[in-house]
Amino acid sequence: MTDDQEQKTIPQPLVVVVVDDDESVRESLPDLLKEFGFTVLAFASAAEFLASGSAARTNCLVLDVVMPGTSGLDLQKELKSRGYKIPIIFITAQRDESIRKRVLEHGAVDILLKPFSDIALRGALSKAMGET
Amino acid sequence: MAMQPESPAEEIKHLRRCINELVSVLALPATWTGSEPSRIVGELLSALLNMLDLDFVYARLRDSAGTNLEMVRTTSEWEPKPRAQSIGEILQPWLGNGTQNWLHPVRGTLEGREMLVVPLQLGMQGEMGIVIAGSKRDDFPRQTERLVLSVAANQAAIGLQEASLLSAQRRIASELDQRVAQRTGELAATDEELRKEIAERKSVEERLRQEEKEFKRSEAHKAAILDSSLDCIVAMDHQGCITEFNPAAERTFGYGRENVVGKHLADILVPPSLREKHRAGFARHLATGESRVLGRRIEMTALCADGREIPVELAITRILQDGPPSFTGYLRDITERKRNEDALLETHAKLARSEERWRSVFENSAIGVALTELNGRFIAANPVFQKMLGYTEQELKQVSFIDITVEEDRNFNLVLIEELLEGKRRQFQIEKQYRRKNGGTVWVRNSVSFVPGTERLPGFLMALSEDVTERRLAEEALNETRSELAHMARVTTLSTLTASIAHEVNQPLSGIVTNASTCLRMLDANPPNVEGARETARRTIRDGNRASEVITRLRALFSKKNAAFEVFDLNEAAKEVVALSVSELQRNRVILQSDLAAGLPSVLGDRVQIQQVILNLIRNGSDATRIVDDRPRELLIKTECDEGGVRLSVKDSGVGIDSEIEKRLFEAFYTTKSDGMGIGLSVSRSIVERHQGRLWAIRNEGPGATFLFSIPRSTNT
Repeated sequence: MTDDQEQKTIPQPLVVVVVDDDESVRESLPDLLKEFGFTVLAFASAAEFLASGSAARTNCLVLDVVMPGTSGLDLQKELKSRGYKIPIIFITAQRDESIRKRVLEHGAVDILLKPFSDIALRGALSKAMGET
Repeated sequence: MAMQPESPAEEIKHLRRCINELVSVLALPATWTGSEPSRIVGELLSALLNMLDLDFVYARLRDSAGTNLEMVRTTSEWEPKPRAQSIGEILQPWLGNGTQNWLHPVRGTLEGREMLVVPLQLGMQGEMGIVIAGSKRDDFPRQTERLVLSVAANQAAIGLQEASLLSAQRRIASELDQRVAQRTGELAATDEELRKEIAERKSVEERLRQEEKEFKRSEAHKAAILDSSLDCIVAMDHQGCITEFNPAAERTFGYGRENVVGKHLADILVPPSLREKHRAGFARHLATGESRVLGRRIEMTALCADGREIPVELAITRILQDGPPSFTGYLRDITERKRNEDALLETHAKLARSEERWRSVFENSAIGVALTELNGRFIAANPVFQKMLGYTEQELKQVSFIDITVEEDRNFNLVLIEELLEGKRRQFQIEKQYRRKNGGTVWVRNSVSFVPGTERLPGFLMALSEDVTERRLAEEALNETRSELAHMARVTTLSTLTASIAHEVNQPLSGIVTNASTCLRMLDANPPNVEGARETARRTIRDGNRASEVITRLRALFSKKNAAFEVFDLNEAAKEVVALSVSELQRNRVILQSDLAAGLPSVLGDRVQIQQVILNLIRNGSDATRIVDDRPRELLIKTECDEGGVRLSVKDSGVGIDSEIEKRLFEAFYTTKSDGMGIGLSVSRSIVERHQGRLWAIRNEGPGATFLFSIPRSTNT
């Protein structure tokens, strides 16, 4: 898959939102996503994201599981209850089967274990976009 | 009396029979009173033949005239009945001069019948004749038979003496009467013949004196018998006064003959409590001729000079003569015999009581009791034991206890039995499982002892068996709960720790990977975004340093725990970790074996940290075997003494270590696992080094690797 082909399928730049309390993630991940050709918005918390009003134009959400305040799981529920059907890719530093099971049951596209490779991320994104 | 080993009951029976025979023989003279010698001997022979199970008994009597009287009695199957003379002729050469009793029976053939014969003399020197008894039995004569035979011969002699004495007395008495009557008539008829008669009387008196002399000689003869008799012989007249008291009686009752003759027997020998009865019985006899005692053998109590009352056996004969009757009593002190009999009865009763008590304990015991032969076969099992196993006693007798022991407990059990039989232990306890008849199992606690054999019984094993199934199940449940709790507690602690380490390390790692990926993509772009690449590369280095700091922090965290140092047993610590890992290992189908050295010295350190190291080694080992499919996945955890310390090793049968990997094994973040972090061995090593120990790895000679650590032993134990 090349960027050219992808752009043919996706005429307008798609918006990917990163929500993670870890600064290094907010710093590094948007750069990589931009390299993939997405428009990227990054937030340090669920509250900031909801307050920004970006949810409506978010094509994919890359969401940390464990965060101070509203957790990634809570945000997933909140978005669902507000009627948003945003594909979510969870990222986490902790392997936890029960969380994995839970988020997938609630409709998450995938859950990636930090550190994840660019290929793994790309695969999850394609899956997410294909579903929209 | 020497006996074959017999049970007390048989012994008593045997003794009783012997006593009865003796008594019958002793009573014989009473029935012979006034009989002819031929009748006396005939009855004796018949009695002996019946009593002693003889094949024949022969007698030859020599009367005063020197003629022989021969008699023989044989068993009914001896056909045709032999003549006494022919038997006598056959026996003659065997007997030789026949004047001595043989010490041993002689074997010979009598009318085609091979048998053992013993001769018995009648009279002191055999002057009255001889009795010969024979039997086909090889054990003839047994000691009791010998006794009966000699007593019988003695009694026969007494009988024969009495018979001859009596006939002499009668003859004399009747002759005297006749002569006196005749002479008295003649006196009355003729005065003239007075002088003549006087002279005649003188002559008669002279003859009377002669007769009397003869009578006295005969009396002396009788006295000799009285003196030599082993039995007490006490005679009394019709008034109940003692007229004779032989030496045996003097010895037995402690009176001198001179002190008792003429006195009432009742006052001397009859205990006060029985005197009235005695007098009444005696009076009744004199009045009516009835008697409860005459001619019978009775047992009663007699009084001694010193006031003791002793049990005696008594046979009384009435001497038939003209005029008032007199009586002869044969008495024998049976104190000893009574005592023996009582002792035997008492012993038997004790045995019976003991047997009964034991039976009762056996039957009513609340715990199982089983007896087995030394090879394990059941001899007996009480109801509790039977119920516990669901087998009847009869069914149990068909098997050995090993047959019904579950297989995994058999070897251990057999080793213990062996040690028991070799005398290395007096008894042992074992907890094991029996297989019940219905296929289920039951946990028992057995106390097994070896019961040494006796002359009559071979040795056997006794097991006291307690059903501890409930306790075991409860214990198991408790242990399970405990270990589950411990497991949960540890897993929680450990996973919290692991999670925090993971979170701490994965965050920077995540940044490193993402930045590096971005960097590469930027450089690959056309045109390359050099500025962006430089920025991401800078961030990669920064995050790398951050990760390194995390590890340093973690190490510091472990090394700062000074307060947690304690003296502990490495084996115990290892066992806990093993218990913790078992289920995970089982899931991975890894077989873990432990070889923990006994008597390992204690170590000083942080128990939990060392356990983390052990856990880490076990997990690494387990992971190393994960891809192994062509051989058993095995782990061996072993502890042993090391120079100045103790060593723990975990040996796996996994993929092993190649030399390239070996160099980097303990580097932080180096890992060969797809999901590993590469800090396990690094942290483990820092923990071990913190304990002044070392951690290293070696390649196995076979497949796999062994990781070992050694830490010093505790100095204050």
